[in-house]
Amino acid sequence: MLTVTGLCKSFGGKPALHDVSFKVERGEIHGLLGHNGAGKSTTLGIILGMVEPDGGEASIGGISVQRDHAEAMRQVGAIFESPAFFEYLSGWENLRILSEFSGPFKERATRKIVERVGLTKHINNKVGTYSHGMRQRLALAQALLPEPKVLLLDEPTNGLDPEGIKWFRDFILNLREERGITVLFNSHLLAEVEQMCDRVTILREGRLVHDGTLKSLQDEAPVYEATLEPWDEARDFLVLNGARILAPGRIALPPDADPAIIVAALVGSGIRVSAFAPVRRSLEDLYLEITAKPSKEEALPFLPVA
Amino acid sequence: MNFLRQLRGELRKLFGRRRTYIGYGVFLVMELIILFVFKLERSQRGMRELIERNGFGFDDYYSSLTITYWVMGFSMFLLGSIYFALVAGDIVAKESEDGNLRLVLARPVSRLRILLLKYAAIAIYTVSFVIFVGITGYAMSVAALGWDGGLFVWNYKMKVFAVFPDWGSGIARIGLAAVGIGISMITLSSIAFMFSCFKMKPAAATIMALSILFVDLVLQEFPFFKPYEQYFITWRMSSWVYLLENTISWPKLAMSYGFLFGLNATLFLIGYTAFRLRDFKT
Repeated sequence: MLTVTGLCKSFGGKPALHDVSFKVERGEIHGLLGHNGAGKSTTLGIILGMVEPDGGEASIGGISVQRDHAEAMRQVGAIFESPAFFEYLSGWENLRILSEFSGPFKERATRKIVERVGLTKHINNKVGTYSHGMRQRLALAQALLPEPKVLLLDEPTNGLDPEGIKWFRDFILNLREERGITVLFNSHLLAEVEQMCDRVTILREGRLVHDGTLKSLQDEAPVYEATLEPWDEARDFLVLNGARILAPGRIALPPDADPAIIVAALVGSGIRVSAFAPVRRSLEDLYLEITAKPSKEEALPFLPVA
Repeated sequence: MNFLRQLRGELRKLFGRRRTYIGYGVFLVMELIILFVFKLERSQRGMRELIERNGFGFDDYYSSLTITYWVMGFSMFLLGSIYFALVAGDIVAKESEDGNLRLVLARPVSRLRILLLKYAAIAIYTVSFVIFVGITGYAMSVAALGWDGGLFVWNYKMKVFAVFPDWGSGIARIGLAAVGIGISMITLSSIAFMFSCFKMKPAAATIMALSILFVDLVLQEFPFFKPYEQYFITWRMSSWVYLLENTISWPKLAMSYGFLFGLNATLFLIGYTAFRLRDFKT
C-alpha cells in the first residue's frame, strides 16, 4: 500500500536520509521509530510530498508521490504533532476549508465524523479556545474526511494525557478493524508502538537499522548475560567472532549464531564460563540498543562463528 | 467550480483575521480627518486658488467627487501600500510559519493551485480595499458637502488636468479610477506575495515589499532618472490617473497596465519557483 524506495535527502550538505526503503502492507499499522534527527519527519515529509528527495521515491497505492502528488494524496489523511489550524475560525470552518481541497464539502459525512471524534458540542467554537486533546480530535476528523486508505500520523499522541492516548489508540485500532485502513505511525512513545504496531521501521542517523516485526527485532540480535573469566580475553574472542559487547558481561550475538557452539568455543579457548543465559529485553531496551550510536567495536562486520 | 470553492475558503481565512481590517479602520479615521481639514477655511483657500486660477468656479468643483479623488489618489500609495504589503506579505509566510500550510499540502492539491488561490485572494482584497476607500470617502464627502458638483482633476506628475462638470460623468470616472488604482496596487501586493513565497518571516516579506516601493518612489524623483521615469514601477502604477483625462488615452493605459501585468506575472513565477523548491518539514 505504501512503498518507500531508496530515499536519500541532504539538508545543506548534511545527510538526513541515506538509501531508506521499506513497505507498509494494506491494513497494517506500521511504526516509524528513531531518535530526534534520525530522519523520521523527513521520511514522512517525502511521503507527503512536502520534502523533495535527492534520490528515491515514495508511492502510495502504486502512485508515485513525486510524479503525481495530487493523485497520491487522494488516498491519504495526515495528522501532525501540534496540528496548526486556523485559530480564528471555528472547528467546522476549518474542516470545511481543508476538506474542500479534497473535493466538494459533504456536510452529513462531516457531522458524522465530528460526532465520532466527540467534538459535536465544540465544533462551532473557535479553534483558539480548544485544548490540545480537542485539537488532536479535530486533526483526526480532518484526516478522515476524505475517506483515506492510508493514515500518516506524525507523533499524534504527544502532549495528550493518558486518557487521551488510550482514546486515540482505541480509535485507530477500531478504524483498522472497520475499514482496513493502513497506518504509518511515527512516535517516540514505545509503549504505544508496542501496543499498536504490527511492524516497525527504525532509523538511526538517516539509515534504516531495522524493518520488520517487533518479534523479529528480538530475534535479530539475541542478547546474553554471561560471567566469563578472564573478561578481556573473552571480549576479544567474542568480538573477533562477530558478537557485539553492549556492556561488560552483556553480549549481542549475530542472529545466526548458535550460543552452544560459542560457549564450547569459549571453553575450548581456556575461558571459564560460569553463566551464559539469554536476556528478555523490553522494546525500550531493544530500541535503545539499536538506535545507540555505533561504537568502533560495533562497526566491525559480523563474522561467522568458528 | 472547485477553484471557486477553494477561493471562497481562502477569502474566508483572509477576511476572518483581525489584522486584515486594520487598514479599513485606519482609512476611515483618515478620511474623517481629511474631511475635517477640507472644511477649514485655510485648507479651502489652496483649493480655491487652484480651481479659480484655471478659470473654474470654486463652488462648482469643490465637491464630494473632487474630495474623493484627492482622498483616493494621494493616500493610497503612502498609506494603502502598508496594508497591501502587510496582507500579501502574510499570505504564504504566515501560514508557513504557523504550520497551517502542512495541513493543506497534505491534500490532493498542487502547489501551483495553492499559490493561484492565494494570489487571487490578495488581488480581490487589494481591489476591494480601494473600492471600499472610494465608497466610504465619497459617502463621507457627501455627508459633509452634499452630493452635487463636478469633478476637478489635477495631477502635476502625470501631467493630467481634467474637469467633469456634470455629476454623472464625474462619478463614472471616479468609479473607473477606483478600479484602476486597485489594479495598479496589485503590483505592490504581488511584490509582497513574491517575498512571502520565500522562506522568510511575514514581517520581512512586508518590509522588503515596502522598501522596494519607497526606493522606487525616491529614485524616481532624482533628476538623473527623469528620462527613464516610465521604467519605474510606481510611475506605471500612477497611470490610473489617465482614466480621468477628458478623452481617455487607451494606448498609454494599455502600455502601463501591460507593463504592470508582465511584472506581476514575473513576480508570481519567481514566487512560485521559490515555493515549488521549498521543503516543508516538521
